[in-house]
Amino acid sequence: MAKLVMAAATPHNPLLWRAMRDPMPDDLAGVAANFDRFRRSFADHEVDVVVVIGTDHLRQFSYENSPAFVVGKAESYHGTWENEVRTFGMEYVELEGHRELADEITGRTVQPEAIDFSVSLEWRLDHSFVIPLQYVRPELDVPVVPIHTNASMPPVPSVRRFVALGEHVRSAVEAWESDARVALLTSGHMANDVGGPRTFAGSPDPAFDRSAAAWMRAGDLDGAIAGCSDFDRMLEAGCMTSQFLNAVAALAAMGGRPADFADVTESRFASSPFFLWETR
Amino acid sequence: MSRYMVDKFMRFVELSDARVAEYAADPAAYVDRWLVEGVGPEAATDDRVLTDEERAAFAARDIAALYALGAHPYLLWHFTEAVHAHEFTPESGWRELVERYRAAVVPHGVVDYIP
Repeated sequence: MAKLVMAAATPHNPLLWRAMRDPMPDDLAGVAANFDRFRRSFADHEVDVVVVIGTDHLRQFSYENSPAFVVGKAESYHGTWENEVRTFGMEYVELEGHRELADEITGRTVQPEAIDFSVSLEWRLDHSFVIPLQYVRPELDVPVVPIHTNASMPPVPSVRRFVALGEHVRSAVEAWESDARVALLTSGHMANDVGGPRTFAGSPDPAFDRSAAAWMRAGDLDGAIAGCSDFDRMLEAGCMTSQFLNAVAALAAMGGRPADFADVTESRFASSPFFLWETR
Repeated sequence: MSRYMVDKFMRFVELSDARVAEYAADPAAYVDRWLVEGVGPEAATDDRVLTDEERAAFAARDIAALYALGAHPYLLWHFTEAVHAHEFTPESGWRELVERYRAAVVPHGVVDYIP
């Protein structure tokens, strides 16, 4: 059986791509160091395939048809979009897909009990997938199964659906008849308000950040569910805070146990989540 | 109020360098052309319509008005960044745009942006 050997939650702030260069700015040194730690962990775990949970930012998926959860079943993926190259200085990348694991997660003929997934065989991945992969696996040589979660176009799935997603990814990996070593990489935010009144003014809600970090450090899945169940509270913390739910999926995938490493790193932009679960 | 079309227009422009350049060169003409060209049997919907208020806000690049009208905040910020990026100079760059943007939206607080 395949094995889920590690899980991680990272930021995907694309502004880092231009700003986090040598000489490293003082306020970004911690972010760079944490990404480096995660890169080493990924390499140490000898990962064969990586499931990446991110949130497309109204690039491929928009209000024409806004799915709650999408699993990529493509053979390969183009990475990033023209506007992200322009605005963030990102680079176009090509990524190999992993159809077999995607089928395991999605269900090939009948939907799994956990979630009614949408699937996409033609998907151009945005920065929420490309940025964490470029920092955690710069070689981009590990095949991916991308999973989009709608955390930016209300109605957002409930936090319990994100828990179900994490638990389902784990069970699908463990049911897969393979000796592959699988990593789960999720990306998102702590409190974050892009385009709202507190845009790029540091954390818009330090109290939320403290609570959210505590759920990860303590392995408090019930606390995370309770704390993220109120959309208005999430919106109060910033219009893009719902992407923290991707980290909750990672916590759930690892059985709700405390993260082995948990850091919320301050920078000029906002607070960055770094949560890591390793194989014991 | 047609928040969906406001979001659709911003996204349409922002996804393409060429469209950003065309819009920035003459916003009023561009938004009028978009409204006309959107109507046709090949479109999923034939109702590419903005209210007079929304059209005027795009024509004037009035960020405060668009925000108050319920534009999706994330899209609005990136639309703003895209259509003003050509104005950046070493003296007035990204951080200054952030400050201008924030000054425009702060008076309106948190708005309902769900279409």
